Amino acid sequence: MKLKVLLGATAWLLLITISHIALNIGFDKLAKQYRVMTGQERGELIVGFLPVT
Amino acid sequence: MTTHSEEGSLFSSYKFTDWPTVKEALIAKEIGAVFILAPMAMQLRLDDVPVKVCYLGHRDGTAIIVGKDSKIRDFRDLEGKVCAIPSRFSNQNVLMHRMMREWGMPFDSIELRELPPPEHPTALLAGSIDAYIVGEPFAAKAEVDGFGRVLYHTKDIWEDFISCVLVVREDLIVDEPELVQELIDGIAKSGKWLDGGMEHRMDAAEVTANHYYFQDPELLKFVLSKPVDRVKYTNLAPLKEDFDEIMELAFEIGVLSDRIDFEEYVDDSFVRPLDEIDWNMERLPAAEEGR
Repeated sequence: MKLKVLLGATAWLLLITISHIALNIGFDKLAKQYRVMTGQERGELIVGFLPVT
Repeated sequence: MTTHSEEGSLFSSYKFTDWPTVKEALIAKEIGAVFILAPMAMQLRLDDVPVKVCYLGHRDGTAIIVGKDSKIRDFRDLEGKVCAIPSRFSNQNVLMHRMMREWGMPFDSIELRELPPPEHPTALLAGSIDAYIVGEPFAAKAEVDGFGRVLYHTKDIWEDFISCVLVVREDLIVDEPELVQELIDGIAKSGKWLDGGMEHRMDAAEVTANHYYFQDPELLKFVLSKPVDRVKYTNLAPLKEDFDEIMELAFEIGVLSDRIDFEEYVDDSFVRPLDEIDWNMERLPAAEEGR
């Protein structure tokens, strides 16, 4: 019974985590962040501009 | 997206159309940095957005424009007239008040009307305003199209006028100072290159007209050459005396909600002397491709 609860909770946690990444973050963005964090890729800087002058 | 440097970092530009979106994008960390109006940057900090002014975008590059056949010959002639400004948070607004004080005119003697910059020339042509003050290329637009003339260039009334400043998120300054340094060095080098000769300015006009601003290249060439010091791209370090003057006036005229100390919203630690920056850039690659 304990094992079933543990497995169920783990599966639920995984499902929620994957859904969160898919819906709110994006796998591409996460993979990019990982590459930047591990030094495989340099960071990207988005520079905005407001052409109001 | 542009591979902007020899080190290989990527810098991409993102165009905003309104002020609240810029604020939200900075808070949500969707952008790392942004070029905005100087008083806007101060107000951002007053609103507890964790950003700092690290550099300037350019100096000068603004003009007061009147109709070609207008009887307005000096600043006093603007009394009772309608003059468009790009935003109440613009330094152009601060400049108009500075001029009114200089000429001994009450602050309400000129009706300042906020209009989006692209609408300034058409409003002047339609006669709904008597004058406008705005950054380039919209100031030059009326001149080039033959219905406007320059009353004053900012270089003649407020030397080294500041319009746009580079604002960077504080967490980036702390966590990725090398990236921020690279960006600021890149701006400094680009500015040095631009001020290095007319040929460079013409190349830059082609590139920015076709890839960024989507403006007539001839208009940008006019802006960058007539006269050549109409817009300046060197001396871009944020200086305390310049910003204190803007801040005091902006507070006095009600643009800023409070006074703010220079050190609270400026981080000039990334500014390096131009001769210490080594970057051999003969020509802009995109300009070559465009030929």
